[in-house]
Amino acid sequence: MLTAQRTTALASKELRRRSRKAKVVAPPRASLLRVPKPIRRLQRRAPIYAIQGINGLSTRLREMTGREVIDMNRVMEVIQFLYRQGELARRGPNYLVDDFGFDAEWTESFLSVFKVLYRDYWRVETTGIEYVPATGRALLVANHAGVLPWDGTMIKTAMFAEHPHPRHVRALVASLFMGMPMLSWFLRRTGQTVGHPDDTRRLLEQDELVLVFPEGVKGTGKPFKDRYRLRRFGRGGFVSTAIRAGSPIIPVSVVGSEEIYPMIADFAPMARLFGLPYFPVTPMWPWLGPLGMIPLPSKWRIQFHPPVHTEAHPPSAADDNHLVMTISDEVRNTIQKGIYDNLKLRRGVFV
Amino acid sequence: MARRLAIQVPSLFGCDVADPVSAIEEMDFVHADTRQSVIGKLVRQLRIDTVVHMAVTVDSAAEDRLAHETNVIGTMNVLAGCAGPASPVRRLVVKSSQAVYGAAPGDPSFLTEQVAGSDRPAYGLKRDLLEMEQLAQEFSLRTSGCSVCTLRLGYRVGEGTKLGSYLSLPIVPTFAGFDPRLQLLHEDDAAEAFVRATRGAHEGVFNVAADGIVLLSQAIAIMGGKAVPILPPYGRWLGRLALHAAGVDLPEHLTDVLAFGSVADCSSLAAAFGWKPAYNTRAVIDSLARGKDVEVIESPSPPQEYELQVYLQRRRRRERNGHAHAALALRC
Repeated sequence: MLTAQRTTALASKELRRRSRKAKVVAPPRASLLRVPKPIRRLQRRAPIYAIQGINGLSTRLREMTGREVIDMNRVMEVIQFLYRQGELARRGPNYLVDDFGFDAEWTESFLSVFKVLYRDYWRVETTGIEYVPATGRALLVANHAGVLPWDGTMIKTAMFAEHPHPRHVRALVASLFMGMPMLSWFLRRTGQTVGHPDDTRRLLEQDELVLVFPEGVKGTGKPFKDRYRLRRFGRGGFVSTAIRAGSPIIPVSVVGSEEIYPMIADFAPMARLFGLPYFPVTPMWPWLGPLGMIPLPSKWRIQFHPPVHTEAHPPSAADDNHLVMTISDEVRNTIQKGIYDNLKLRRGVFV
Repeated sequence: MARRLAIQVPSLFGCDVADPVSAIEEMDFVHADTRQSVIGKLVRQLRIDTVVHMAVTVDSAAEDRLAHETNVIGTMNVLAGCAGPASPVRRLVVKSSQAVYGAAPGDPSFLTEQVAGSDRPAYGLKRDLLEMEQLAQEFSLRTSGCSVCTLRLGYRVGEGTKLGSYLSLPIVPTFAGFDPRLQLLHEDDAAEAFVRATRGAHEGVFNVAADGIVLLSQAIAIMGGKAVPILPPYGRWLGRLALHAAGVDLPEHLTDVLAFGSVADCSSLAAAFGWKPAYNTRAVIDSLARGKDVEVIESPSPPQEYELQVYLQRRRRRERNGHAHAALALRC
């Protein structure tokens, strides 16, 4: 101990003797570009001042008009969203995605946008959300409509807006969308995967909530005059997958998605050129260019139905075609009936 | 791989057209070409009971015809050499690649061994690999005493691989609007899989790929590059040509992988071998980023005099008995 101290003392003395005067290294100063201190402080506090200003304006306007003109909660949501996006952009490559390519953190950052669409744009009314289990596997089966899969987005948002235990819904997407640039990337990143029985099985075995549209592109690409008429439900493949995975089926009826893009015609040659199943022609698209892609603000209703307990059947029942088709028809009828009920409950297309 | 085998197998013969990368004392090396039917002679005269066929090229940029020659015709010759009632070969390990699946948007997210060879029209390499595997399967059906194990290796990013050099670019052009999932395999794990396949008695086709995935953009960021989505999403061959003009060789099968991604399901490997790759995909890309992807092994020390004597004695004795348990490793 003593010797150690002595040696360190010796060493430090030796070092001190040998050392030259330390050079003072100051950060390089850009004298011309340097902003004065008060201005820098102002820059730093600008966001807070802006929020305070908007807040003051909001209070003033409320006093003047007697109603909420600028909703501060909304404003704060927007700021939070922007801030979150900035954070996500800064997190670098150190984030985890699951094996399907699902990035939960990134997906949740978009929820505020989708919630605005859900509450204010389409004014979605959701019933029967209590039928969706808080934990464990379940297969949501819904009708598919509208040219772009906004109905899937809204079902996902409904789980976060209404359910006491928000969960991510993993939708199955036609392989065709998975081959499209941007869409494929966005869909995978937000938890969707290819509509392949193998993927469905894997997701259900991981106790996920899986959303499937058995109508597929036949549902989204149907003309406006056929709205709210369900197409064929595939070959009942979703039922056999559910039976094999021992998962209940929850039918979901969506009303309102048909009117977002009233498809008056299908321009087949264009579809063939781009390798699409249909090329929609709506009153706005493609005449108004990108503006035509803005969906119309129809009134939506989503109804979750009581689950069909397919898990009561043994896995071997999945090969029983009669049973599979019976359950498939039952689910289809439930959804169709739900659509008619909700259409009656809706006062008008846009109100 | 040969180095790992050398420890476990009494005698080892290597065979290649080129010189071996590093000399291994325990391995006897023969300059030979799989395109000639010397394998049969070699196998019968040395009484080789295990053949590891690794002369399969996957990572070549162009020259489809040459790759076909090596992969299909070469395999055909090797199999012909091992066939026949008098053949001493009891085990055959064949190298294949995950490229046999190709990559398409409609593929399931996890490719099981049964997915390969679906109705899609297969191109160049994919068709060759399929044909090669089919040959191996036919061989295993025809030859009752020989077990055939085909290993579909995942994409590797080691030194000199096309994918590795692509990911190491400072500015990485990617296909606009795509960010696929990448699944890789470490070179060590590939070698280990071969050793295990050689030592065990596994029969069938197995995917060998690392656990987990990284996104392409993530991989590029880990490598310190910058992903620039400038390649056209449609007409991927056009992007490939542009890359070629810019001095980056990207094989045809990789263009699809870089657009749609390809992830294999290795559960059957884990079930049969009781082993799974030690590196997960993230670790593979990390090790590539650190530049430590070359296998670190101590330089081969000359065997001690005593050990050498023991070895020679043992070998002489075995030769007197007329049976040599030997492994033949073909590498390319």
